[in-house]
Amino acid sequence: MLLTVGGMALWLGLSDATLSYVRAWLRLPLAASGVVLLVLALATLRWGSGKDEEPAGHDHGHVAGGPRSAWLLVVPVLVLLLVAPPALGSYAASRRAPGTGGDSTGDFPALPEAVGGAVPLPVSEFVSRALYDRRQSLAGVRVRMLGFVTPSDKPGEGYRLARFNFFCCAADAAAYEVAVRGDSTPRRADQWLLVEGRWLPEPVATATAPSTRRPVLMVDSVTPVDPPADRYEHNLYAF
Amino acid sequence: MGATQHGPRLVDARLLLLLIVVAAGSRGLVSGLFDDPALQTWSTIFVSITIQALPFLVLGVLLSGAVAALVPPGWLARALPRRTTLAVPVAGLAGAALPGCECASVPIAARLRDRGVSTAAAFAFMLAAPAINPVVLVTTAVAFPGRPQMVVARFLGSLLTSVGVGLLWIRFGRETWIGRSRVRTVEGENRWQSFGATVREDFLQAGGWLVVGAAAAASLQVFVPRSLLDLVAGNELLAAGCLGLLAVALAICSEADAFVAASLRQFSLSARLVFLVVGPALDVKLIAMHAGIFGRRFALRFAPLTFGVAAASALLVGRWLL
Repeated sequence: MLLTVGGMALWLGLSDATLSYVRAWLRLPLAASGVVLLVLALATLRWGSGKDEEPAGHDHGHVAGGPRSAWLLVVPVLVLLLVAPPALGSYAASRRAPGTGGDSTGDFPALPEAVGGAVPLPVSEFVSRALYDRRQSLAGVRVRMLGFVTPSDKPGEGYRLARFNFFCCAADAAAYEVAVRGDSTPRRADQWLLVEGRWLPEPVATATAPSTRRPVLMVDSVTPVDPPADRYEHNLYAF
Repeated sequence: MGATQHGPRLVDARLLLLLIVVAAGSRGLVSGLFDDPALQTWSTIFVSITIQALPFLVLGVLLSGAVAALVPPGWLARALPRRTTLAVPVAGLAGAALPGCECASVPIAARLRDRGVSTAAAFAFMLAAPAINPVVLVTTAVAFPGRPQMVVARFLGSLLTSVGVGLLWIRFGRETWIGRSRVRTVEGENRWQSFGATVREDFLQAGGWLVVGAAAAASLQVFVPRSLLDLVAGNELLAAGCLGLLAVALAICSEADAFVAASLRQFSLSARLVFLVVGPALDVKLIAMHAGIFGRRFALRFAPLTFGVAAASALLVGRWLL
């Protein structure tokens, strides 16, 4: 069992597939854990698992080689192998309330420099600025964003551009969504697009009137692209 | 020893290998079966929680193995104050030294107890370590910029929870609830063999229950719509209770829960503090590990106790500081 889990951990630590589930900095600890487990497994094979002193009262749940519950460890390995779950996509995005960006009460820093005529911004930063920046730094600025298509649940609204953002692992991911207007081409759910356009200004939300609206982007350029290696954003956090 | 011990183990290993090979080989054949987006989302979350926890669990069992095999017996009990009521707060504060996921703290607490630390002090450590270590405090500061009182409140709330549960255990707890010790004592030919064998034991045991908890958390995330929350945000007490339950259901790592709490803008800071204090102390992942390592009877009693103390501590500290 240790060999299996250790092998899985090592492989995950070394491959890009992990980025669907956790952040890049976990890869080294994962690989290291994999090595530890593999070493332990080899040591057990070489030297045996030691004699067990049965505690007072007799023991039910153990079979030779380890506690029975250890079998459960095979489940994630099987899930990885059989299902090969992808990064979170439009299904998950449609099930959750949209992310509203941390709890910033201060002002936003200056926008980054424009590249090729548009300011490249992560979707989550665009949403945070659109909803909460009192100085409306986005007004009149042409921005470029990368995200995947999530169908809208409001009829006639077209689609939304979404991106997940998490700090620890996919379990705490929040979906940031932008309502896209001005693109009449039908788009598939989960298709990745590079869009350029301008924000449609709306009044800024305040701490006492938090917003669950999705900011609107009027687009004039939409390009289907391949998904990036890391499909999530992590920029809202300093590290 | 000899044939009888190796026999069953090799059978298990061969069965496992067969399972893995069949799974890897049939991927092409069954890929259509697993296309349902709900299943895929569930799988992503399940795998994420497991993978994220894995390195911390390994770290935790390395430490618990060290406690069991490398630390001289009795040393730990002597290092803590003799009077249990004093040992509890000391053990709680000592929790600040162990950065990492809450999964690491359960096997460590089990081994500490096994090595002579009083049960109450071991639990105090177990509850405090995931909540008051530097990594968690820093991430809380980052997630709530301009509100340092959240960091202080979280620290105090969690410390109060761990000490409170420890002291309540001294008064009301009974060793019989833990039933037979599920912590196997493994003796090897030398200390290093004991160490290795203990690490292996603890990992296999805790890891299995981690999988159960991850599956529960993934199910709750996928099948319970979060829009339910908006309904309760208005009522203070109801909001606190709901966020507490949410913290238990979501099983988010204590390093990340500050960001999730920050995003729950429709709730008051006090209600969000309940989320932050309950989360590292109790969640489905931890409940599964408590049940696996300390017994189901124990988990049934410990869970509501911890929930109550954590929620009460958070509300108290919130009223005072926030």
